Amino acid sequence: MSTPILVPQLGNEITEAEVTEWLKSPGDAIEQGELIAVITTTKMSMEIEAPASGTLGAIVVPEGELAEVGATLATIE
Amino acid sequence: MPKTLAVDPEKTMQRGEVAFARVPVHAYDTPFADERRAYGDEGLRAALRHMIVIREFETMLGTFKATGAYEGIAYTYKGPAHLSLGQEGAAVGAALALEPDDHIFGSHRSHGEFLAKGLSAIDKMDASRLETIMDEHKGGALKRLVSEHVGGTGKTLAENFLLFGLLAEIFMRESGFNGGMGGSMHAFFPPFGTYPNNAIVGASAGIATGAALRKKLAGNGGICVANAGDGSTGCGPVWEAMNFAAMAQYDTLWDDAVKGGLPVLFFFNNNFYAMGGQTSGETMGWERLSRIGAAVNPASMHAETVDGSNPLAVADAVHRKRALLLEGKGPALLDVECYRISGHSTTDANVYRTRQELKAWERFDPISRFGTQLVEAGVLGQDDVEQMREEVRRAITAVTRAVVDPEIAPVIDIPADPTAIGKLMFSNTEIDLPEGQAPLLKQPEESAPIRQIARKARTGKGEDGEALSPMRAVTVRDGLFESVLAHMTCDERLVAYGEECREWGGAFGVYRGLSDIMPYHRLFNSPISEAAIVATAVGYALEGGRALVELMYGDFIGRAGDEIFNQMAKWQSMSAGELQVPVVLRCSVGSKYGAQHSQDWSALISHMPGLKVLYPATPYDAKGLMASALASNDPVVMFESQRLYDTVEQFRTDGVPEDYYRIPMGEPDIKRQGKDVTVLTIGPALYTAIKAADTLEETANLSCEVIDVRSLVPFNYEKVLESVKKTGHLLIVTEASERGSFAMTLSANVARFAFADLKAAPRVLGSPNWIVPGAEMEQTYFPQPADIIDIVTGEFYPERRSNRLGIRNWDDIELSKLGI
Ligand SMILES: Cc1ncc(C[n+]2csc(CCOP(=O)(O)OP(=O)(O)O)c2C)c(N)n1
Ligand SMILES: [Mg+2]
Repeated sequence: MSTPILVPQLGNEITEAEVTEWLKSPGDAIEQGELIAVITTTKMSMEIEAPASGTLGAIVVPEGELAEVGATLATIE
Repeated sequence: MPKTLAVDPEKTMQRGEVAFARVPVHAYDTPFADERRAYGDEGLRAALRHMIVIREFETMLGTFKATGAYEGIAYTYKGPAHLSLGQEGAAVGAALALEPDDHIFGSHRSHGEFLAKGLSAIDKMDASRLETIMDEHKGGALKRLVSEHVGGTGKTLAENFLLFGLLAEIFMRESGFNGGMGGSMHAFFPPFGTYPNNAIVGASAGIATGAALRKKLAGNGGICVANAGDGSTGCGPVWEAMNFAAMAQYDTLWDDAVKGGLPVLFFFNNNFYAMGGQTSGETMGWERLSRIGAAVNPASMHAETVDGSNPLAVADAVHRKRALLLEGKGPALLDVECYRISGHSTTDANVYRTRQELKAWERFDPISRFGTQLVEAGVLGQDDVEQMREEVRRAITAVTRAVVDPEIAPVIDIPADPTAIGKLMFSNTEIDLPEGQAPLLKQPEESAPIRQIARKARTGKGEDGEALSPMRAVTVRDGLFESVLAHMTCDERLVAYGEECREWGGAFGVYRGLSDIMPYHRLFNSPISEAAIVATAVGYALEGGRALVELMYGDFIGRAGDEIFNQMAKWQSMSAGELQVPVVLRCSVGSKYGAQHSQDWSALISHMPGLKVLYPATPYDAKGLMASALASNDPVVMFESQRLYDTVEQFRTDGVPEDYYRIPMGEPDIKRQGKDVTVLTIGPALYTAIKAADTLEETANLSCEVIDVRSLVPFNYEKVLESVKKTGHLLIVTEASERGSFAMTLSANVARFAFADLKAAPRVLGSPNWIVPGAEMEQTYFPQPADIIDIVTGEFYPERRSNRLGIRNWDDIELSKLGI
């Protein structure tokens, strides 16, 4: 089973965010709730927690790129 | 909210009780023989003499007020005389323990402190330092005046210089220490360690605290003293200052080199009364003033109650507190009990106290008490005391005779130069961006949020002309940040703080990423203390630093009213330009959150003489004006619209330069050229006007020239007048309530300056004179493009009139009758 890591809804005016840092690499074992990435909006930076335990799959949005709210950043296998 | 400080429920929920550090009351018991050994007879005699100088000086003022003459010299003194007769022991005792480089800040009743500190500095300084100070003050002009008309050499000359400079200031003469711009309640002379005295009760508390922060960071030693009365313990800003000085972060989070509480001593001259209101037993609940230390921190601020009628007891306490402060254990508090035998002012009829009470305190007159003690111990004879009094009276008479003489000490000749005081309002100077780099935690490029800005497009339009999102192009927020970053990284004197300024990056993220690179002492979270935020910034600046502080919402200006209006705005001019106040105060202007979070109070600030006021609306202007504000040696209030933080650059085709640049304050900017109507906008109204201008062009064939004021103070009218010459019509748009708005000032002035060019009276379109409603109703409140179109086509070009588009079909004359 695979769980997508999504850009969360960050308030009704924020439509996109930048992935500023991946704290894990593909293949890393991940616990649910662990911090896996930092994203930044126009106003703030926030940490993304793993929605499930497993292994980090392919990264869809690399560091420095933008993603819309709701987009998949990576998956957990 | 630093993550290093976890809030542990297991710990905080444990049963227990709060312990308070004990607060000693009149614990002084040093044997006189020990004091005599420590000070020497010379030192003890000097302490007595200093008290006599203060007594005689203030007696002279009181006599002038009461009889119009002193020692045969006639003079009518019209100003205030808050005398401290009876309280001299407190002032002289403190000064005995202070060093020349300790800085004191005082109150309306501070002649005594000023003289005591000055006399002590003169005693402690060597002759050559004194000569240099006198030679450097106004190019030696005061020294020459005193030499010629009063005389004296060495320390005697320095004492005459001190008395002359103070009395001339009290009588508002040009040769006064503050150019006659301060007067009795404000006199100060930094070279002797006396800093502004304040006519606002308690206002020195926050200023001294900020100065102490600067002293600590500059590492140049010494402490700051906030002198205040017992009445000031009822003032919110005093409590804010004490807490600011005691914040835990100095110990828990700051670097070792700057660890520890602020070196500030809150010195309360507790004379038991605030005018007629009796603090002990009537207006305050503390029972003993020193108790309030226990409310502030676990050390109870090292508070003590001491006997202000005994200078040696006061000196002992100040000496011990000073040592604690220099060890980083500040702040400290002293409750110095003393009794004012004179009235609060010369109109005081003593209706609030009995003869018996006055009589009972006679025994505690510090001068007779200390004099008797010295005579009994054989330090000097009774005749010597009389001689001392006589010599002091002679010196003060000589100084007084010279100062009242308008030939020797004239009042500044305003009729000869009618704007002379006006020219003191601003220095109009700025610093260069310092070279090199201040110590940082890491380089800016190593911070992800800072890197993110570097990747953005510099204009708001993409290659195909499409509008770019605020994630892809530099915004107003980024423009502000780039200039803040430029100054913060290279200017170690500059500190930035306010509520949520560190991890959060300011409530609206302008400093996002700055906490990655800035050590705590350069960027920190303040308590929710708007008064202390501004007052400490002022003190920090007066002490030689530069401060960038933030009020989360402009709506909180009221909480820092005195600090903005009377402190930040005034010390440059009240010091006749001797001091500067390089403070930038950022105030965001909100929307969506209703009546107490959405108000544009730029007019309120602009009304106050002494503040420069900016309100940029584009990324280019935000960056250039923020750079000018941070470089300015004058205080600047920067308004920032929350609605515009995410706005990208839409006016400059080559975008926002990456490099550092400044836009001069005071210059409005034409954002759209036109010929039929001039629309002058303040803040976000720019975008409303641009939308209206587009529509008017298309639908009514009318072209609008849109000018953004950018600065409110100063303001150069020339561009606006030129534009009006061409168009003949002026509409000013603001989101502030119309009544008393800055737009009204602009309108009245243009009507006067360009009367002949105008085809109709200038028109102001602002928000109505009622509360700002919430987001759902905001469009009915702030001016909309439709309202602009209605005015332009309905009033300026009636022949092109169309049906009313907006909802403003009200009658302003009728509304005014209702007060709205
Ligand atoms: C903010 C403020 N409120 C009121 C006053 C008017 N006022 C001047 S002095 C004074 C009494 C102050 O009492 P205290 O602090 O005990 O000082 P003291 O006069 O006894 O030296 C008052 C109410 C003022 N100057 N500032
Ligand atoms: Mg008092």
